[in-house]
Amino acid sequence: MALTIISMASLRSETQIVPVNSPQASSFTTTVQSSLSAVFPSRIKHSLSSILTKFHAGYFRISLSLGGQALLWKTLIGPTHDKSTLRHVVHMFHPTAFLLLWCFALFILSLLSLLYILRCFFYFKMVKAEFLHHVGVNYLFAPWISWLLLLQSAPFVAPKTTSYLVLWWFFAVPVVALDVKIYGHWFTKGKKFLSTVANPTSQISVIGNLVGAQAAASMGWKECAVCLFSLGMVHYLVLLVTLYQRFSGSDRLPAMLRPVFFLFFAAPSVASLAWESITGAFDTASKMLFFLSLFLFTSLVFRPALFKRSMRRFNVAWWAYSFPLTILALASTEYAEEVKGSIAHILMFLLLSLSVLVSLGLTIFTLLNTRMLLPDNDPISGLYHLPIVSP
Amino acid sequence: MDNRENHVSIELQESASAEPVPDLLKLITSNEVVVFDTIMPESETSVPSNGHQRKFSISISMPSSPTGAASAGTKNVLDVEDNGKGFNDSSSVEAPSKPKPKGDKFLSQPMPKGSVFGEAAPNIKKLKDKRFNSFKTWSGRLERQLSNLRGRQESESESEEESTQNLGREAFPVDRYFNALEGPELETLRASEEIVLPDDKTWPFLLRYPISSFGICLGVSSQAVMWKTLATATSTKFLHISLTVNLILWWISIALVAAVSSVYLTKVVLYLEAVRREYYHPIRVNFFFAPWIVLLFLALGVPPSVATTLPVALWYVLMTPFLFLELKIYGQWMLGDQRRLSKVANPTNHLSVVGNFVGALLGASMGLKEGPIFFFAVGLAHYTVLFVTLNQRLPTNETLPKDLHPVFFLFVAAPSVASMAWANIQGSFDYGSRITYFIALFLYFSLAVRVNFFRGFKFSLAWWAYTFPMTSAAIASMRYSSAVTSVLTQTLSVILSVVATLTVTALLVTTIVHAFVLRDLFPNDIAIAISDRKPKPQNR
Repeated sequence: MALTIISMASLRSETQIVPVNSPQASSFTTTVQSSLSAVFPSRIKHSLSSILTKFHAGYFRISLSLGGQALLWKTLIGPTHDKSTLRHVVHMFHPTAFLLLWCFALFILSLLSLLYILRCFFYFKMVKAEFLHHVGVNYLFAPWISWLLLLQSAPFVAPKTTSYLVLWWFFAVPVVALDVKIYGHWFTKGKKFLSTVANPTSQISVIGNLVGAQAAASMGWKECAVCLFSLGMVHYLVLLVTLYQRFSGSDRLPAMLRPVFFLFFAAPSVASLAWESITGAFDTASKMLFFLSLFLFTSLVFRPALFKRSMRRFNVAWWAYSFPLTILALASTEYAEEVKGSIAHILMFLLLSLSVLVSLGLTIFTLLNTRMLLPDNDPISGLYHLPIVSP
Repeated sequence: MDNRENHVSIELQESASAEPVPDLLKLITSNEVVVFDTIMPESETSVPSNGHQRKFSISISMPSSPTGAASAGTKNVLDVEDNGKGFNDSSSVEAPSKPKPKGDKFLSQPMPKGSVFGEAAPNIKKLKDKRFNSFKTWSGRLERQLSNLRGRQESESESEEESTQNLGREAFPVDRYFNALEGPELETLRASEEIVLPDDKTWPFLLRYPISSFGICLGVSSQAVMWKTLATATSTKFLHISLTVNLILWWISIALVAAVSSVYLTKVVLYLEAVRREYYHPIRVNFFFAPWIVLLFLALGVPPSVATTLPVALWYVLMTPFLFLELKIYGQWMLGDQRRLSKVANPTNHLSVVGNFVGALLGASMGLKEGPIFFFAVGLAHYTVLFVTLNQRLPTNETLPKDLHPVFFLFVAAPSVASMAWANIQGSFDYGSRITYFIALFLYFSLAVRVNFFRGFKFSLAWWAYTFPMTSAAIASMRYSSAVTSVLTQTLSVILSVVATLTVTALLVTTIVHAFVLRDLFPNDIAIAISDRKPKPQNR
């Protein structure tokens, strides 16, 4: 009974896959499916291929958020100079609970990475289509950022060990490689090109550099850290100006993807944390970046109308709310530790609660609505099937 | 069409140039029952009699609006539109279904009024005032209530107008301003455009009073700060300037701020629609930051004899409304659709950004730490964006003048104030401050050597706002020369101060000439009276 239901479901979904693909992809798909059928029973093959075709790099938002939460809690339960009561309360977060959180994040990330590797292997043309899309290409950074965040928050890998170093190199090199490719496009194809493709998700590339810088600085590799930091900040400057100008208007981003506007304040927060890791203290530059991020956050929060359309139906883009909030909360924690005022701690408390609530809420909502997670007519993955793929 | 009104004069026109403010304010405030149709008969005597006949011809011959009785101007925005339609029937675009032409209001009302009163005199006034009614706050409603109280019969027509009026229109689209106006300050009407208020007569004073009048306060208060620095800075002590100059200028600034604010507040109360239109004007919106900047300058330039230290709460009180305003405006730049930066960027936007630095400067001089850094960070980020955008001269940007205009001096404002703010935050005039100061100096010189390209512009009150960058540059030079004392730097600071003072003096003379000799200091404010026609292709 269950099997027939699954097979019917997968058949139904399979019939819906075909019109979406381009003819070349569908012929490719059939060859893939024939190779897959040699490996798996056909029902599992159907459901797997349906998942793989609908899956895209944007799903790494989930692992990004979970990794951010793990880093946040690792910082909160770690050693601190902050003597306030709030910090004491938070410090009581049981280490085992943190371990559970980290393991959960690791599990999700591994699952997503596996799925994506399979997708690369079996549906490489789709991955290429993602790469050529102006929104999709930025999410190719997301897996590496998630791994870097998990590495930083790992409970058993100390920063100055060889394993940490090796892992860091393993995750940072793809980030730099993607940088070279993408920023090179901006640079050599002229400003006009950037102004047509720039959209808020482009900040993910900047965040990638900055997270890499932070991870390197915690290893003690100052020069690497400063290099990645400056790379990120220069491009952030260019991007900030371009995005603020909105030369081409708001038509570059579909309404469903409005949650990614939260990335506007994610980038300065990560920069503030990265600079703090590099210099060792939350100095004026970090404070300025934190304040800028706070200002942009307030700006967005005062405009709920922007997000109304995207909140109508649950989709994975909702996870885009979580990571920026988590990083802002983390930055506010560092700020409160530095400044030690009551207002700073109230702010920290507010942002902490907000980020935890949002992450928790999203997790529960996703677990309850797993079917909606991979919808048949996901407008976002539908974007990548537009005829951009060249033969 | 409009030339019919040529023969109808407003009571204010005679007195407009001489003492506009007292007349109108007297008229308005002296009547506790502010009903303009009671005011009208009093001053009606000044109206020439031929106007009466004209009035009748106007009211009879004007075609009735096709869509029936328009409701009262509860939403003055609609009235504006209606005015345009009422008067520009021949050339107006076909009325959209929503707003009812307000022409009916004049048409239906004066006629019954005429029949009720049996005299033409009040009708003229009513007609004239009705034209400006659209700009008044709750004009129709207030008048109707008051006239209902007095048992006038036009209440029926008014009530049906009110009921049929469509309320609630959204913001005046920014495209209208760009299509209808031209010039570096978007003040001049394009040839193909018409305005909803009569062009050939002087409007009520308050309608002619732009928000850019706060520029005078900006100019004078920054002068007060400059003279205070001249008297107290170590590098200029050799000049032996006394603090009395600062004291005098400071009190003059206080008086000016009080005067300008009270007049503008009266305008807000009485002509809310006009204020809204100024807020939606892409250039004038930046002047809404000016009052806060002026107050900050006043706090910065407070003479030592008045107060040596100011309470910290004052800084929070001044910066909170500023913060909300900039959240709104910067949010529009980044997230809004119509008013995004690539469309509306113009040099006057610097006024929106420089306030951050002035606030940071004041806060840091009071000893605050976090707040000034906050505003400095926000100001720096947005200044960078604005600077790049303006330098790019994007093709979507229509407001940047091709020639030089005094507005370009605003480029110098932000870096010079930022350098001082950073010096106060850090405690000394360090590298960051020096870098920003040199940027300001370079921009100043690159404009100064092109001074012969600044010519042929119509004087406007906004020019006062453009003097404050020069003054700020002078103050920054004094701070710099206090840190790096040498003959060169001291000479530079003295020269810049002299230039700033001379400019302000010249501007003062020009203002006086315009005010009393030419009597056109406050010309009809065309920019807020543009009609709200939906843009048709042939109108572009």
